[in-house]
Order: sequence, then structure tokens, then C-alpha cells
Amino acid sequence: MSFMQEEKRPGKKKIKTTRVVNGLDVEEEVWVDDLEAPLFKPREECRLLGTRMKRVDGPAKLTGAAEYTSDVRLEGMLYAKVLLCPFGRAKVKIDAAPALASKGCVHARQLVDETKYLGQPVAVVAAATPELAEDALRALVVEYEPLPWVLDRGQALAEGAPEVRSRGNLGRPTEDGDAGEVEAAFAQCAVVVEQEYSVPVQHHVCLETHGTVVDYRGGEDAIVYCSTQSTHGIVGDAAESLGLRKAQVRGIVQHMGGGFGSKFGLERAGTLACEISREQKRPVHLMWNREAEFLTSGNRTGAWQRVKAGANKDGRMLAMSSDVERYGGIGGGSHAGLPYLYSVEKSLRKHASVYMHLDTNCAMRAPGHPQASFAMESVVDELAAGLGMDAVEFRKRNLNSPAHLRQLDRVAELIGWNEHPNRTAPGSVDGFEAVGIGFGCSRWGVGGSPVCQVDVRVMNDGSVTAEVGSQDLGTGTRTYLAAIVAEELGRPLDGVQARLGDSRMGNANGSGGSTTTPSLAPAVQDAARQMRGVLSVAAAEHFGCAPEEVVLDPDGARAPGGKLTWLELCALLPPEGASVRGTWQSDLAVSGVACTQAARVRVDLLTGRVKVEKMVCLQECGRPLNRLALESQIRGAMTQALSYALLEERRVDPQLGIALSADLETYKIAGSLEIPEFVALVDDDDLREGVAGVGEPPVIPGAGAIANAVFNACGVRLRHLPLTPDKVLNAIEERKSS
Amino acid sequence: MRSFRILTPRDVATAVDQLPATRGPATREDARVLAGGQDILTELKHDLIAPEALVDLSSIAGLEGHERTPDGGLRIGAMTRLVDLERDASLAGAFAVLREAAASVASPQIRTQATVGGNLCQRPRCAYYRHSHAPCIKKGGSECFAATGHNKYNAIFGGGPSYIVHPSDLAPALVALNAEAVVVGPRGERRMPLENFFTLPSEGSILRENVLGKNEVLSELIVPKPADGTVSTYLKFRERESYDFALVAVACTLRIDGSKLASASLVLGGVAPIPWRATRAEVLLANAEVGVDLVRRAAQASIEGAAPLSENGYKLPLTRNLVWKALTALGAGGAR
Repeated sequence: MSFMQEEKRPGKKKIKTTRVVNGLDVEEEVWVDDLEAPLFKPREECRLLGTRMKRVDGPAKLTGAAEYTSDVRLEGMLYAKVLLCPFGRAKVKIDAAPALASKGCVHARQLVDETKYLGQPVAVVAAATPELAEDALRALVVEYEPLPWVLDRGQALAEGAPEVRSRGNLGRPTEDGDAGEVEAAFAQCAVVVEQEYSVPVQHHVCLETHGTVVDYRGGEDAIVYCSTQSTHGIVGDAAESLGLRKAQVRGIVQHMGGGFGSKFGLERAGTLACEISREQKRPVHLMWNREAEFLTSGNRTGAWQRVKAGANKDGRMLAMSSDVERYGGIGGGSHAGLPYLYSVEKSLRKHASVYMHLDTNCAMRAPGHPQASFAMESVVDELAAGLGMDAVEFRKRNLNSPAHLRQLDRVAELIGWNEHPNRTAPGSVDGFEAVGIGFGCSRWGVGGSPVCQVDVRVMNDGSVTAEVGSQDLGTGTRTYLAAIVAEELGRPLDGVQARLGDSRMGNANGSGGSTTTPSLAPAVQDAARQMRGVLSVAAAEHFGCAPEEVVLDPDGARAPGGKLTWLELCALLPPEGASVRGTWQSDLAVSGVACTQAARVRVDLLTGRVKVEKMVCLQECGRPLNRLALESQIRGAMTQALSYALLEERRVDPQLGIALSADLETYKIAGSLEIPEFVALVDDDDLREGVAGVGEPPVIPGAGAIANAVFNACGVRLRHLPLTPDKVLNAIEERKSS
Repeated sequence: MRSFRILTPRDVATAVDQLPATRGPATREDARVLAGGQDILTELKHDLIAPEALVDLSSIAGLEGHERTPDGGLRIGAMTRLVDLERDASLAGAFAVLREAAASVASPQIRTQATVGGNLCQRPRCAYYRHSHAPCIKKGGSECFAATGHNKYNAIFGGGPSYIVHPSDLAPALVALNAEAVVVGPRGERRMPLENFFTLPSEGSILRENVLGKNEVLSELIVPKPADGTVSTYLKFRERESYDFALVAVACTLRIDGSKLASASLVLGGVAPIPWRATRAEVLLANAEVGVDLVRRAAQASIEGAAPLSENGYKLPLTRNLVWKALTALGAGGAR
């Protein structure tokens, strides 16, 4: 018995319909969109999705019309400010009376008797203007009695060191792997590298500092404006601090000046603002200043990584042992673990936290991953060099994912590797400058979850809104919220009003782990498809055809029975318009995206300057929604990685117990002249239909790629970030004299 | 920052009268001079000073602007904006060093506001000095914390008891041009070579970096006519290229006559508490035959006598290499 295989087309279905042909009714089968299956339109049919769309809120941001939390000004508002303890640890005695007596000050109090870390807030004041609040801070009579502190590894692990926590400053190590197996595997290796790699503590450096404005004047309702990555996530804490119920508090996050993982909750600034507002029954504005941003808002864990790794003569990594210390201040720190990404046959690893009197680490753009990647990409490169093997070829022999293999080939081509003279041996320190190329790879789990509820409304005057209580961290969320709906309904991008950043709107997840887009976009598409169904039914009734036969396009609606303009179509709706709610669709989200980067650097052998000339990134992202925003995310990530590689470093003086890099002069971040030519590419060989977020994966491999490029240029291996000219020049001089 | 009064004198004599007449070093509360405000604003914000008044020189006519003197030199008012030097294309040849130094300062925004006098009189950037809770020797304490602490950015020459480096870019350039400083005080005007205006921590008051009394105002700089044929350059090396103070800078002027160096002036920035004249290199260069060997020896001589601290040894090869680069660029290594 044989049968015809039923043809299948994604997102389409076949229906029987009646056509009038030469005056006769003829029944025929036609392919139409399957309104039940909320897939995106095929890529080639899209007018908006997958193109380069400018942000819908771009003009507002450029003109300053966009209101960020720190811009909020309310009638009768108080300005609150905090005093930070300048020492590693201290007992604190504060007389707040003179502050309370100072002009315009209505609130002044001590926060702690004894601090736990350098820069901990010890007092808060609130006054009628920011200047009066500063005066009130100065009017506080403060006595610090410094207590012994530990601010670096040496102090933390010294005999008799003051304990950061009761169980000692060295956390209990976690270990896994079989030492005997690893030892045996090392014996099989043709090359073994044993080195130490370190990364400093990095700061988020959000352009908008942490902070909250609370609009509460007594009564039963409060509005909380917060610079946060989670509009819904702040409501509970705000309600508790205000003494209200969650239903009485509304969170607003219209525009947000960067979080990078450091702004998931209401944070300390927010709870203080709520407490003062509750007491004073007046709106309160409390934004961290830059110093507080550096000292008490979290950071990327620093790490010291002792690594031994070996490969056989064919370039297969057989063995690795690693001993990692995490430096997360009073927190445990975070590190993704070694081996990272690459497969190593036998591995033994040990991880431990070293605690210090510094503010706790927190999530930061791929938490724990850039640290591990820097050590891993460096040791991979050292093994390749030890074997005299092409660095790209060596990587391909130790990576499993086909995506990385093809990405490495393409990135190598785009950076000019195949014409580069130093493919199997590095350049020298002779001459004035040297050019080198380095590589790095990453992979990120991403994936979405069923949280978001997206409401799409069409009014009978043709206006369309798409709303959800998510937030746009500057990543383009607002733009695709409008674009997905506009695409599905055949509207122009500006024909859909996107609204977000309000906890009264539908549920949404916090923006972390690159999960915003894979959680939200499928729900937006679901709502858009549903609304298309509603409009198709209205048009079908008008035309007397099946809903599936209605096509929505930029001209409006058309069907075998005729045409309607968009306004005519919407006029068919009842006076209250139509609304639908979309939810998450697992088919529209993907998880697991590969990224490969290359950096080309020019090392000035006279000064030690590492000038990154070009960086290429090829990033999988599933179905691309807005290429311009994706490229921008990738560029931003490469910028942050470059800055981590070349400049950024928290510095303290452990003897004096003070911070030496709590401003933007001493904590250096890359500026315009550090920025190379960026080639930020969406990997179009990734043909999956679901979407992924890519905030994190492209920040991971950049620092390793840059350090590898420096080695490739002049044979100088730098194992301790950042690669500042002093270190590079010292290493060059050392190599010259050896 | 505490509230303060802004005083707007119409002439320098009035400004001098508005400044404190008492003896001794300026106190936290003493009135100070306000020029472009780019440095003093940071001192106020870090609570290093809390003056009751700022005497704003911008209200005085005639302090802003620069011009050629009749004899071919240069007169620069203390309130001249850095951007005006940066944009003056006629500052070439012997004066190129000045234009390049002005263009290397901070950012376009700051150069638009900052003044020549302010740049020369700005306070150190040492992180310990700038920290309001580090009672360092520059602020009346007894210790230079950089001597044993973090000192990557500190002095390799002329240090002790303080190891700050002078942050000015214009200072090495103007010293290399043999500029004179005009200082107005209660007893009228005095003039001195700019080189003598700056003081080492071991010489003058540890609390300041120059000879200015607290009721004196730097009013102008006079640059004598350089010999015809003099060429110059300012090479500044920054940790962050976009915006930074110098790790090391080299101001160099020289004149080549035939195959000989008729004159050479070499002043370093970022390496000492004052603009540091590389005297040994200058002696070596004077009347010497141009050539690559001369340049190499002069570059080496420029770091003789340096005393690096624990973290700033890199400044030796960096200085040597930048001096080599500057001399070579100006032709001291012979025709290229």
C-alpha cells in the first residue's frame, strides 16, 4: 500500500474554500496562515523583523525627552543622600542632631553601628534640595573607630586575620575530578602548560546610578520609579518598606540607564527612599552618587586561577587541573569553572572563595564567565603555541559544537588570519610595533520562560497598543514589542504604540541571563497572531469569506471578496475596540547560542600600548528580530570586554583601608579612541525559528582574544588583566633582555 | 562642596586685595583664585578645600588671549583658553610644542573651559592626595602614602618627601620654550623663568607646587623669540588614549645647523613633582653631531639618575623611548 506524503509548511495550513470561477462556484484547496500556530512569518516575507530598525525611543533619548528615574521631579520632593564609611571597617558614632538642625533637612539618621565592608552607607539624610542634603551630610558629626580589615588576599588569609564571616575567610573548597586519572592523562601529553591567570574586580559602571524615586504622600497608594532590571520585581520590597500591600504599589521603569546585572531588586537606595517617604509622607529622590556606585552596588568577581593543562601531539587536550580563588568581597564570588567551553578528557578542579571587607559581588553580564574564559582561552592558546600549531586549528580540535567550527573559519577569514604571518609562531619584540591576532569563543544557555503576559489592543480608530510590564534596559525591547505586532498586522512600525515599564501592565520577568527576549517576544507574537485572528474574523464577516482567507498588509485587509483600508477595517470593531492577551510559546524561544570572536591588535613596542584595531564577532541568536539592536548589543559587549582587557581594575590601599578607584578618573573605562573597528555579525547560519537574547554571550571571549592577540603579535604572554602599558612594556623589556 | 561667595574683581590689583593677606600656607577656608574652574571644582567636590570665596579672574579684562610680541616671541594671558592655543595653526615650528601640549589636555569640553594659568597651577592627581580621608604629606600629614603604596603613576625623579608628579601638559612645553611667568602680588609684579616658578617638595612648601603666595596671581606668560629654524614637539603618552593625564610626556625643542645641533631643550612631564628638565641629555645634545647614536645616547641619558618606586619602573623605558621618538621625529638622528 502506498500513500502520498501530506505536504507540511511551517505556520501554514490547507483549507477548502469556494471560489467563483466564470460564474460557477468551484471548491478548491488553498494554503493559508495557520492562525492557531503563532509562528513568526517566514523570514523572507517580513517587512520589519530581521531588518535594521532604529529604536522607537531613539528620538526621545537623543533629545533628552526620555524621563529616567533620576530625572523624575515631583511636587514637594525630598532629596536623600547617604554617607559612606571611607574605611575598610569601623565602629561608627554619629550625632545627627546638627544635620537635622541644618537648613531644609527633615531626616537624618545613623544606619549602622559597625560596618562590614569598605564604603558601606552609615548615615542617610533628606532635605529640600540636593545641595541642602549635601550640607546636612557635612553637618553630621561622625566618629569612626577603625577596626582591623582585610582588603586583599594576603590580609584575608594571614594568620589571625579578622574574620569577614564566622567560618573563616577561606571558604570551603569544592573539588571534583579524579586526581589519579588526571595525573595519568598528563603523562600522555606532548605539551603541558602550568600557569597562573588573574582578573581584577570589574565594575558595572552604569551610566545611570542605582536609585529610586518614591511618590508617596500618605494614604493607600504609592508609585515607585526605579532604575531597575525588574519592574515587577521591586513592588514587593517597596510595599514592605512603605508599609503597604503589593497591590497598592505601582512600579515604573520607563527608561533605564544600564544595569548589567546589578539592578535586580529595589536595592539599598530604594528601601531607604521608601522608608523616608513613609515617615515624611512626601516624595523622596535617592540616587547613588558615583562613589556609592563604585563602592556599594556590586561588582564582577575577581579571580586568581592556577591552571595546568596538557595536550597530545595531535592537539587534543587530555588533562587539566585548576585551582581557582574567587574574590567577591563579603560575597562568595562567581566563576563558571574550568575547563570552560572546550572539552578536556580528564579534569580535576578546585574552587574556593576568599572573603574580604569589600562590597559583595553580584550578577554582571554573564556572571563568572569572562573570568573562566580568559584563563581558558589563554591556556588553550599557550598549548597551541607549545605545539607550534595554528591557534584556530587547535581550537577546532577541542570544540564539540559544529556552530563553533564554522564560526571559527568565518571569523578567521574576516580578521585576516589566513594571510597573517604568525599563525604557528608569535612575532618578536624587535622593531617599533607588532601586529597580532587572537581568538575566543563562548556559548550561552539563554532560553525563555512562561512569564510574560502581553496585551495588544486595536481601537476602532485604527490605533494599536502593545503593552507588557517588562522593561527596556536600553537594549531595544520597546522597539521589537512594537515591531512584532506591526509585522503581524501589516502596520508600519510607528503604527503600534509600545508601552512597558509599569507593574500595572502584564507580568514580565526581570531582565537577566539574556532571557528578556526569549521570554517576551514569543508572548508578543502570540498576542499579535491572536489580534490578527480577531481582525480577520471581522473582515471575513464583512467579505463573507473564511477568516483564513483574509490577508493583512500595509494597505489594510484584502480577501477574495474585496479590500478594506486599515481604518475601514478597524471601524468594523465595536466602540471599545478589541483586545487580546498573549502568553509564552515555547516553540518561539531557543536556548544555546554560540559566539566566536577575533581581535587584531597593534602593540607599540616602545610604549607598551595595546591598540585593538579590529574585533570581529559572529553571534548566533536564533531568529533575529532587529539587526540594528543586535549589532548594537554585540558592539556594546565587545566594548565592555575590551575595557576589561585593557583598563578596568578596582584598586584599594589595603594598609590605609581606603578605595583608590571610586571615580571615573581613577577607574578607567574605554573611551572613543580605544574603540576599534567592530564587525558585529548576526550568525545567519543559525536557522532556528525561535529567538534568543544576546546581551551576555558576546562579552565573554573578548578579553582572552585580546590577550592572545598580544602574544601572537610579539610573543609576550600577559596573564594578568588589565593589559595596561606598564605591564606590557615591562614584559617587552624582559623579553628583549632574555 | 560648601557654599562660597564668588568675587568678580575688575582688575588684578583688586583680585590680589580680595585674596587672603595673612602669612603662611593657605588654609582650607582661605579664598582662592578661580580661573577656568576645571581643577578647583574637583578640589571642592572632594572636599579638599572649602574656601569662603572664589576670586573669579574671568571678570578681569585683558587676561585672556595670546599674541605675538613685536620681537617675535609670544605673550599668553593666564586666562587664555587651551582651545585657543590648540586651534591656532600659526603655533608651528618652535611653538608647535605648545599647540600640541594644549591639544593633548583632557577632553574637548575641558579644553574649551580650562585656562593656561589654571593648567599650570593645577594640583596633583595622586589618588592619595585626592582622597579626603588619606592625610598625606601634601595635605599637612606626615607621610607620602604613594612612597610605599600604589605608585604606578608617581615620580621617578625629584621625589621625596612627596612623590607626586606635576599634572600639567603646558608646563613642560613652556619650560622647554624658556617662558617667563608674570606674577602679580600686593607689592606689584614680579617675573621669573617659569622653570623657577615650580618647586620640588624638598625645596618649597610641601603644601604647594610653585612659588605663588596665597595672595598672588599668575597673570601671564612671556615666551622669548626662539632662534630661527627651531622645531619642536610634545609627545604625551597616556594609559587611556581617549582622556588621561600623562604617564610620561616629552617636550622638546631643537635647532639643527648643518650637521650639528645648535640648541636643544628637553623637558619631561609625568615623571617628577615639577616639569623635569633632562639636563644630562641636553648637555649631551648641545653642539653635538646629529645621528642615530647621539639620539640613542641622549635617550639613555634622559633616565640617568631616575629612582623608580615599586610600581613605576616601566617609566624608565617609557621615558627613554619617548625621548628617542621625539628627537628622531625632529631630525636629531639625521635625515630620514
